Amino acid sequence: MSAKRLSIGGMDRRTFLKVSGVASLGMAATTFGVPKLLRAAPPTIKIGSVQPATGPLAVIGVGQRRGNQLAVDYINSMGGIKSMDGAKLELLLGDSESKPEIGRSEADRLIKGGAVVMTGPFQSGVALAISTLCEQRQVPFMMDVAALDKITDKGKKYTFRVFITVTGLLNGGIKYLKMVTEMKGVMPKRAVVANTADAFGKGMSGGFVKFMEKSGLPIEIVDRVQYPLGIHDLSAEVARIKAAKPDILFPVSRPGDGIILTRELYKQRVELMGIYGPGSPGWYEPDVIKDLDKLIYYVMINVPWINPKSPVYQQANAAFQKAYNRYLDTNSAYAYAGVQVIADILERAGSTDPEKILVAARQTNFKNHPVVGGPITFDEKGDNTGALTALIQVQPDDDLLKRVKIVVPKEFAQSDKIIFPAPQLWER
Amino acid sequence: MDSNLAVQLTIQGILLGGIYGLIALGLSLIFGVMGVINFAHGQMMVMAMYVSYWIFVLFGIDPYLSLVIVAAVIFVLGYVVQSSLVNRILDYPEAIQVLPLVSLGLILENFALLLWGPDHRSPQTALSLKTFWIGSVMIDVSRLIAFVLAIVITILIFGFLKKSNIGKCIRAAADNRTGAILVGINVDRINNTSFALGAATTAAAGVLLLPLMPVSPHIGHDFTLTAFIVVILGGMGNLLGALVGGLILGVAESTSTLFLPATLKQVVSFSILIIIMLFRPQGLFGGKK
Repeated sequence: MSAKRLSIGGMDRRTFLKVSGVASLGMAATTFGVPKLLRAAPPTIKIGSVQPATGPLAVIGVGQRRGNQLAVDYINSMGGIKSMDGAKLELLLGDSESKPEIGRSEADRLIKGGAVVMTGPFQSGVALAISTLCEQRQVPFMMDVAALDKITDKGKKYTFRVFITVTGLLNGGIKYLKMVTEMKGVMPKRAVVANTADAFGKGMSGGFVKFMEKSGLPIEIVDRVQYPLGIHDLSAEVARIKAAKPDILFPVSRPGDGIILTRELYKQRVELMGIYGPGSPGWYEPDVIKDLDKLIYYVMINVPWINPKSPVYQQANAAFQKAYNRYLDTNSAYAYAGVQVIADILERAGSTDPEKILVAARQTNFKNHPVVGGPITFDEKGDNTGALTALIQVQPDDDLLKRVKIVVPKEFAQSDKIIFPAPQLWER
Repeated sequence: MDSNLAVQLTIQGILLGGIYGLIALGLSLIFGVMGVINFAHGQMMVMAMYVSYWIFVLFGIDPYLSLVIVAAVIFVLGYVVQSSLVNRILDYPEAIQVLPLVSLGLILENFALLLWGPDHRSPQTALSLKTFWIGSVMIDVSRLIAFVLAIVITILIFGFLKKSNIGKCIRAAADNRTGAILVGINVDRINNTSFALGAATTAAAGVLLLPLMPVSPHIGHDFTLTAFIVVILGGMGNLLGALVGGLILGVAESTSTLFLPATLKQVVSFSILIIIMLFRPQGLFGGKK
């Protein structure tokens, strides 16, 4: 550097660059704090989330993603994983497009991208594909939503499930159906099962038919109507349902079908005592409640549900409302719980080593979750022993968001009355 | 077998088939004039459904009344797509032509997802639950209106192509592009108009479907496929074929519920496609090539 030039107050280009470079470094050092830069920053822990963010299940997939993300943000804001120097969680996003083969390749991509734990994927078919992959890659897989029993069969080591199994769902469905019919002293005689023909729809409805036979309930299933996932028109199917003359309809549906099905039942004047869902979406989403209005009243669904009385739910719901202007529904709440459990396990494992995570996962006993059910603990198959369903019914209320009410179990109930048989759709 | 059920299913199939025909009409028109298959057809229909949905939600105007406005909006969209994109790829090999249009479909679909989210929206319009009964057979009013309007629109398009000056130019360009250029027709502009007209008819079909089924961004693809099957069934580029093909497909899909599990609906339509390809590749109404 030329002292002469500096002394006369001039500055050439090179000098300026040098001076300004040093100056900005200095500024950076004071603003961001050099000592911190020298210390090793805690690494971020990557969690892979594969959800059906596009395709026919996009409504749910996007909600699931948001649930995952909300929990990640909350945990990070509370100081990350404390046993690992406050390491922050990072969510890697994958989109299954509602298809198993794509779900698997997306999971593979996320694992290659550094995901140490996987979560997702809403669909059982996708879950089967990802769990097989996770066993091969030795990456723990914490399923937030996926119900088919066989996903956790065959001694899988790395697969865990926060959600309820189909068996658990069906047991709840039969139990509550018995309760309602006994309480009301009314027994339907003929029933039709209508379901989507994806892995969950088939497994669930097939299981329901078997469970009904064993249940001792005198209800005869006179027809089973299956239709493809993402159908746009159910008029032919409803004509078939009507021809079977059922007293009660057991739908296993997906978002979108509930609307089409109910309107067709109305138009074709299918006389029913009621609609009782053994456990499926399509009946309680805010858009469905709004679009169908009176027609959706009195529908009963047995479903793993949010626990509106839990403080965790209230806090998460408020944050969700603020971020997305809609309430935290059951699927998003399970997605939230999935990440909560992962964080709890990481906290106790103090490491991202898969073996240590497995040990910690087996000892899980997690109470502060936002859904109906007991503490989350895992049995030897990796299924959540605390998982429980609730029976919800859509009941008249001026506030759209308060129409969906838990009616049983008693400790979670929001309404003490159950309406069954329901008035016919066209008489409301 | 329940004969009442069979009659019910046939009527529903015919009514839905009319709308299928209208969707396919646009696709057939575009193919007939330019030899391009519009793989963004269904997605354009979804755009129309959303425009109509928002007009209904924001201003309370029933879809049947907003039909003309929506068709005009999608007409402009079609015009822009043709003049900026499709005119440039007309001379490319067919396999290459597919790509920009499939991409356009993906862009439109994700644009809808971004703007309006993935929810299934299905507003309750004044007529969406109205029905009347002939004996024990139910007639769905919105389906009937959709069917009647679909037929009316088809007749209007026929009339337009037969009688009007632009219509004659379109037919000339479809018949012999070079010849049309030689007699002084601005073929580029005719192409733009044809594509826009095709898009506007599918828009009309979308509006007619709105009271019948929930709209969400991803449903377009299925309708592109349905329209494609109908067009092949009726004969590529043949407009009457599109209508008849639509009716056949509608009835076949609907009545198949009688003896097949409904999950095999798509098998029915694709089987029809394969049979037609094997035994009458030019379609039911297609001339010799």
